[in-house]
Amino acid sequence: MKQIVRSQGFGAIIGVVVVLVVFSLIDFSGWWTAQTITNVTQFTAILSFVAMGQALVIMTKEIDLSVGSVYGLAGVAFITLEPSFGVPGSLVIALVMAAFVGLLQALTVVKGHLPSMIVTLGGLFAVRGIIYVWTGGSVHNFSADARIHPVTRLFGGELFGVEAAIFWLVVVAAVLGIVLRATPFGNRLLATGGNRESAESRGVRTDRVKIWAFVLCSLLAGFAGILTLCNQPQTHVTLGENMELEAISAAVIGGCLLTGGRGSIIGAVLGALIVVSFRYELIALGAPSSWYITFVGVVLIVAVIFNQKLARFLGHSV
Amino acid sequence: MKFRNSVLLSALMAATALGGIANAQDGEKQYRFVMVSHIGSNDPNMGWLTKSMEEFERKYPNVKTEYISTNNYSVQEHVRLLEQAISTQPDGIAVPIVSSDAFEGPLRKAIEAGIPVVAFNIPDGRPEGERIPYLTYVGGDEYLTGKKLGEYALEKAEAGEIPKPTHVVCASHDSAHQGLKARCAGMKDAMEKAGAKVDELFIGAEPATARNTLQSFLQANPDTNYIFTVAGWSSPWAWGVANEMKLDPDVDDKGVTVLTVDEGPVSIEGVRAGHVLATNSQGFWLQGYAPMEWLYWNKEFGYAPQSYILTGPVIINKDNADKWAELVRGVFGDKAYDEQNTW
Repeated sequence: MKQIVRSQGFGAIIGVVVVLVVFSLIDFSGWWTAQTITNVTQFTAILSFVAMGQALVIMTKEIDLSVGSVYGLAGVAFITLEPSFGVPGSLVIALVMAAFVGLLQALTVVKGHLPSMIVTLGGLFAVRGIIYVWTGGSVHNFSADARIHPVTRLFGGELFGVEAAIFWLVVVAAVLGIVLRATPFGNRLLATGGNRESAESRGVRTDRVKIWAFVLCSLLAGFAGILTLCNQPQTHVTLGENMELEAISAAVIGGCLLTGGRGSIIGAVLGALIVVSFRYELIALGAPSSWYITFVGVVLIVAVIFNQKLARFLGHSV
Repeated sequence: MKFRNSVLLSALMAATALGGIANAQDGEKQYRFVMVSHIGSNDPNMGWLTKSMEEFERKYPNVKTEYISTNNYSVQEHVRLLEQAISTQPDGIAVPIVSSDAFEGPLRKAIEAGIPVVAFNIPDGRPEGERIPYLTYVGGDEYLTGKKLGEYALEKAEAGEIPKPTHVVCASHDSAHQGLKARCAGMKDAMEKAGAKVDELFIGAEPATARNTLQSFLQANPDTNYIFTVAGWSSPWAWGVANEMKLDPDVDDKGVTVLTVDEGPVSIEGVRAGHVLATNSQGFWLQGYAPMEWLYWNKEFGYAPQSYILTGPVIINKDNADKWAELVRGVFGDKAYDEQNTW
């Protein structure tokens, strides 16, 4: 129990419990249905991938605003290149493209000593522009053969009775959680964001750590785009628009501090769950859907205050 | 290009005749007209406008047309783009009045500075006298688009071909777009007369978020049996969500009925495949060509039309969708048409 309380996703756990209790009280019959849970968890899974990547970058005291565009680019590349390279080929190329964008931005930030907010803001616009120019405004569909391809089904169908996106989320979150908490890389990542000078004095090559964080972030965003399209191949060039804001919100609600050095994978997933749950419940309660963004803003601010107080209470310097 | 629309042909013939007159004159003045659009490269409908403007340039070689647009459904960005365009002192501007309040200032300044303005696609919806004093409006009637589609659906429901509406959701990707709001208002007026409840839902333009939002709405409102998507490209998302929820969204006498807009490949193929009951044409081709023509006639001869020029709506249903597909293939080409079909 003590370990859970001291864990960096504890704020998000409290948040999820509060959300579940409140939603159960005001809309028990609507909330606890198989359809609602499927709806909420499916989109939570997609957003979680982007949020987990964002969390890794935030832990290094940087930020990546380009994830929505990278998510879109990978998805568009996956569908557009499929006729030429087949499903497995286009999937690999799409992921390589996503990783390349992450690498390019990371090198610009690290080697150019530039603020990641500016560099990735440029990335957001540049990548979105590439999507528009590349597609000319329309993204065609998967062919009937591509939709039933085993690789498409592996990422877009059901695996072991659950939606593929949820299955892959469990797998990837578990791996990342272990990497973050039980490997030297995880320690270096948190040390880089926590106190860079101190980390470097202990031999941590913080530049490399940051580069890996950006690449992983873009890869996860790209993978989320591919998962989305394997499940629903009907898309548009707006794929991923504004997703960066939801991903950052999810990571921060999940316990990541923009001051770096603090955050967790499970927290990012729970943060995504809170964000998506709010959208569902507001619509279910009949609130205009444009209110959703207002509520995300309010929850975000409350979460930042709560997480900071919690961190201080637990003796962390923030 | 095979244009079967008689209105389109009339316009082209008139354009050809006047183009001939214009070309016959020596020492012609050179003009530069700018279309400042909200239909960006993220919207396949842009092709209608740019292709018709290319056609216009071929007819009037002394006119250079420019098409500039936003991509992210932001009124503020559109206004900035408009202000930039005005600062280049063009000989005429065509612009959709996405927001009367936001566009009023820059457009009145432009008109006062002697730049003729034609509104296209979306008019200033305010009463006469309060409107921005543009030359004319060329485009569909957004309110009528929703109303006529609604009335068409009610006719089919009366005939027993589709279910009678109980709850209609108007799914919009841009909550600030007054043209989309007018479409929803038209649908609302038609459907409420038949006793159906109508809700407007802001789903956004991002596909996964839009699906999630719409799915949430359908779960929370299980009596919803009509979905009206106010963009053609979001109709496959609506159909996909309803299909995934096993709500039987194909056009038949049970389940959910999907209605959409536009004469793009997605909408037309949705109708042909039996996924969408009907869509509409707002005469996009003419919306690119005719504003340029009126700007030209105004600059060259001082002509000013005395009324709005409506280019739609025209209902596209299963009876005429094949002919529309042929027409659109003629404009976009087979390859682009097939690529834009996202069903």
